[in-house]
Amino acid sequence: MRRDQNADGASIIVSCRDISKTYPGAVPVRALNGVDISIRRGDFASLAGPSGSGKTTLLNMIGGLDRPSNGHVLIDNDDLVQLNNNELTGLRLHKIGFVFQAYNLIPVLSALENVEFILRLQNVPARQRRERSMKALADVGLSGMEARRPGHLSGGQQQRVAVARALVARPAIVLADEPTANLDSKSAEELIDLMDQLNQTAGMTFLIGTHDPRVINRTRRHIAMTDGRITADEYRH
Amino acid sequence: MIESLVLIVPLAWRNLLRNRRRSLITFIVVIIGMYSILFFNSLLNAWAQSTRNATLDLMTGSAQIHARGYLNDPTIAHVMPFPGTTLQHILSAPGVTWAARVRVPAIVQSEYKLLPVTLTGVMPAQEMKISTIPHAIVEGQYLANPSDNGIIIGRHLAQRLKTRVGKHVIVMSQSRDGANQEQSYTVEGLFAGNKAAEDDFIFTGLATAQHMLNLGGNISEISFKSSDAQLPSVIATLQKADPSLDVRSWQSLSPFTAATDQFMHGFTLIWSIIMFVLMAIGIVNTQLMTVIERVREFGLLRAIGMKPALILLQVIVESCLLTGAGVIAGAAGCVVTIQQLHNGIDLSFLARGAEFFGAGHVLYLHVIFQQVLVFTLLVWSFGVLVTLWPAVKAAHANPVEAMNHAA
Repeated sequence: MRRDQNADGASIIVSCRDISKTYPGAVPVRALNGVDISIRRGDFASLAGPSGSGKTTLLNMIGGLDRPSNGHVLIDNDDLVQLNNNELTGLRLHKIGFVFQAYNLIPVLSALENVEFILRLQNVPARQRRERSMKALADVGLSGMEARRPGHLSGGQQQRVAVARALVARPAIVLADEPTANLDSKSAEELIDLMDQLNQTAGMTFLIGTHDPRVINRTRRHIAMTDGRITADEYRH
Repeated sequence: MIESLVLIVPLAWRNLLRNRRRSLITFIVVIIGMYSILFFNSLLNAWAQSTRNATLDLMTGSAQIHARGYLNDPTIAHVMPFPGTTLQHILSAPGVTWAARVRVPAIVQSEYKLLPVTLTGVMPAQEMKISTIPHAIVEGQYLANPSDNGIIIGRHLAQRLKTRVGKHVIVMSQSRDGANQEQSYTVEGLFAGNKAAEDDFIFTGLATAQHMLNLGGNISEISFKSSDAQLPSVIATLQKADPSLDVRSWQSLSPFTAATDQFMHGFTLIWSIIMFVLMAIGIVNTQLMTVIERVREFGLLRAIGMKPALILLQVIVESCLLTGAGVIAGAAGCVVTIQQLHNGIDLSFLARGAEFFGAGHVLYLHVIFQQVLVFTLLVWSFGVLVTLWPAVKAAHANPVEAMNHAA
């Protein structure tokens, strides 16, 4: 059996091995406590748990935004702990797509330019860049809104642009941290539909940190966390 | 690098337009700072120049030639021959004007009073080119030629002597053979200058003075004017041509004027530094705000894979554009203002004050392009430099901490 495959043969994109994270301070906070988890290609997984359970910390570790105090995080067999800051930046650019709770779009760029920005950082040729960005925006249902800046888009639309930005670079995995938290019900449902559809049709891997039951009920893999530990991990068909 | 700039420059430009008010404030701070530095630098330079010229143009010139010993004992005992062909050739170089004088201590007497003065025999046509006194006649007229046997005295001296144009005065001095000589002169004109000059100097024709003092063709001094740049080489050439003569620059002849000149330059420098620091505080403040306010955004850029160097470049480009525009606008505004003031700034409304400081009534400002260039580059570089520290901090911030930073 290959190292990047699990028992049933599906390839593993993310592998966390016994990772812990302690934030130093007058009273050190142990945010993660010996987490072991693997994410397979094509997973549509939710990472649920109450506030302070370690969801965001784990997503940050997997996304290479922070480093664990102990253990290893492997993305496509690259051990993040071994990478220097520049290599981590490159890994984030090429292998990981992020969707944040607060959308986090660049306010001075239009929707199209926000999506295109990732490809510019990857030095993708201009024509290809434009075509892929237009398609990504079309895929999230924002055709015709390419020229609008974030300030002229609704929250739901901004989050769709963030999804398009995360997808356009064809990452190994999209990490979404509370993507529906700032959205109204309708926009939240639409976003969940969109992510589900992208997972089913394009095979995009999603790991969604959330405590929104609507998201948890729609994902096909459910991972639960409490006090920095994985307490449940199950596939639902 | 070019690809990075193509990515960064439009982004930087839009970021500047994003917070128009703050960008405008920074822009105005830089404009005012740059304008003030250049304009007041120019004004103070003009003031220094005017102060210097007011003294040097009276009698001193840029430099003087004397017989050795004259400066320690400025009497009839230390005279020298009228310049020969070699000296005249050097003194006729382009940009150099000169005049020969006889200058001895004397006593002038009217029917009311007797006062000590300096009798100066001059060549009126040459004197016109190097001294302001022939142009400062307020009553009567200036001497016509070296043989003119009239006399020009200061307006204040005339008041003290209770004399006027057309009246006679007696001038007494010692001739070369040691005998006391006296001669009656008709007052031909009165000049106005500073009070000390009005009291001290009386002028007659060079040949008339030589005759009275039994000097033959000898003279006391040659005063000449040349540009500052030209002066050292002219002095060196003259000294080399006749080592027996004492050739001295105005700095050596008039140490007080030289010290004042140096003081004015020092003052100008201090003023420039003060303006620079004030402007720097304004720039640092706004640039720091610009970076600190956007820590979240920089965190996002780091999170999605933008390298720290690119973030640093973005902040530098923003600063470069904003400071650069301000610096250029400020410098251009100042150059235009100075060119509009080509007729000079008339300070006659504070004439007495200006006179007290030794400056003329009209200040002529000049654009020194080298100075404009130096200050432009200095302010521009500084504006960019002060953004480096916050930019480096922002570029290397932990993405998670940066994104959690309260906006």
